[in-house]
Amino acid sequence: MEMLNFIFDAASIKPGDFTGFTFFIGSVSMLAATVWFLMQHGQVDKKFKDSMLVAALITGIAAVHYFYMREQWVLDGSSPTELRYIDWILTVPLMVVEFALLTGVGMRKLFWASVVMLVAGYFGESGVTGMLDAQTWGAVSGLAYFWMAYEVGCLSIFGGPSGAVGNALASGSGKIPEAGRMLQWFVLVGWAIYPLGYMAGTDGWYAFVAIDEGAMNIIYNVGDAINKIGFGMAVWHAARS
Amino acid sequence: MNVVVKSKIAGLILAFSIIFFGLESSYSVLLFMIVMLSIGIPHGSVDHIIAFINPSARKFQSKFVFFLTYVSLIILNIILWIISPFLGLLVFLIISCYHFGETQVIGYNSTDNKLLNFVVGANILLSLFLNNIAELQEILYIIPEFSNLDLSGFDNVFFLLISVAILMLSIINFDIKRKVPLYAEITILYMVFFHTDLLTSFALYFGFCHSLPMLMLEFKEFKNDNFAKFYLKTLPFTILSIIFGFLLYQYNNDLLTSDNLILFVFIVISSLTVPHVFIMKDFVKDK
Repeated sequence: MEMLNFIFDAASIKPGDFTGFTFFIGSVSMLAATVWFLMQHGQVDKKFKDSMLVAALITGIAAVHYFYMREQWVLDGSSPTELRYIDWILTVPLMVVEFALLTGVGMRKLFWASVVMLVAGYFGESGVTGMLDAQTWGAVSGLAYFWMAYEVGCLSIFGGPSGAVGNALASGSGKIPEAGRMLQWFVLVGWAIYPLGYMAGTDGWYAFVAIDEGAMNIIYNVGDAINKIGFGMAVWHAARS
Repeated sequence: MNVVVKSKIAGLILAFSIIFFGLESSYSVLLFMIVMLSIGIPHGSVDHIIAFINPSARKFQSKFVFFLTYVSLIILNIILWIISPFLGLLVFLIISCYHFGETQVIGYNSTDNKLLNFVVGANILLSLFLNNIAELQEILYIIPEFSNLDLSGFDNVFFLLISVAILMLSIINFDIKRKVPLYAEITILYMVFFHTDLLTSFALYFGFCHSLPMLMLEFKEFKNDNFAKFYLKTLPFTILSIIFGFLLYQYNNDLLTSDNLILFVFIVISSLTVPHVFIMKDFVKDK
């Protein structure tokens, strides 16, 4: 019954609850993308099959968590921060893996960077360690994010230097360079919502960033959908060649 | 698509259904029992045949020597649990880490790298326990070494994060042929472990990521066209194992009481696992 509600009962979201609606859109769009990527899995060349499977997995995991997040938001109106972190912990490394699958290099560096980014981000937001303040943990997490952005060649968009993964993307065959550029934009612009969300949710010199919880969730929901589905679409674009 | 992948997909569909629809915790014992009796125990119930049809595993001179060794290992394991539950648990964990990891890497890498097998299995068990830490504490309170263990200060997300981080660092530090699919599959498992209780998590993992793929590989090894006929061959020792479980349950010991049913179940599984691991070690060599 819960599942049927999830698919058909959007009416349980209160009228005017735009945030709740974006949770609903997030869950169904992720589910639709999962089905799409799984269908495309059979159509693409063998070397892209793992990439399509990972793309489906990313949106599939997100669909499950958006379903839960929507439930929490509709039932008690609280921000589902914990569920969001669970989703990110599982999906961010998988998004990073797409770079390694397309290029065959850089998995070690990108995994290290995402471990540091996630662990420091969580320590800062939860305060679980009792050591250092949120802005210091945030800085560590941010540095890991910039390291990752450099490594995948985000700076090369503006003619700047690039890490090994970025170089491999640029010199890839077929539509890989084109898809790589799309992925670089996602990391540079799309992923920027996560540090912004962190700044809005913790205390620090950046207090001016703080915004209303509902608005923050809308930004996260729309950003997540674009990032995760877009990531998969970029990989699919490369795989079609 | 090979039998291992098919088995895992069946488990994945079941796991996603349970997470989406939500399974009342009162039903987890029922799910656990169904999975254990239909897949879990049967996958080890043809060890006495596997040990003799696999050319690289013919270490036993006769069936008598095989059964003597097999039953002795089971008895020794039970004695160890009774003398020192801590050591019993430790031996079970070490052996299980190796065995679960060894079968988990099939299809992604050769099973020759013993350290990799152990590390992969350790990651899975660590995540299974960390993501169900409250239940684990309830089970382990009877073991003196863990009676004062209190991890309630940490939240669930912390444990998920730690298990994912350890998995990532483990995967990148080993030479694995198909790193990403292995990582992706274990990520799904972690999501299942996080969202379901300990018994359901264990049933889904043990049933569909471990036992069913092994059962299907054993079926292939038997070169028998009829799965029903093969499955019938698992029944005698499945029934014997259930009788063994009931007999052990009757044993009046502080450790083996109904107060701690999950621990009891783990003791039974551990006792059946110890000899099974040695048979499977040879069986999976060229898989």
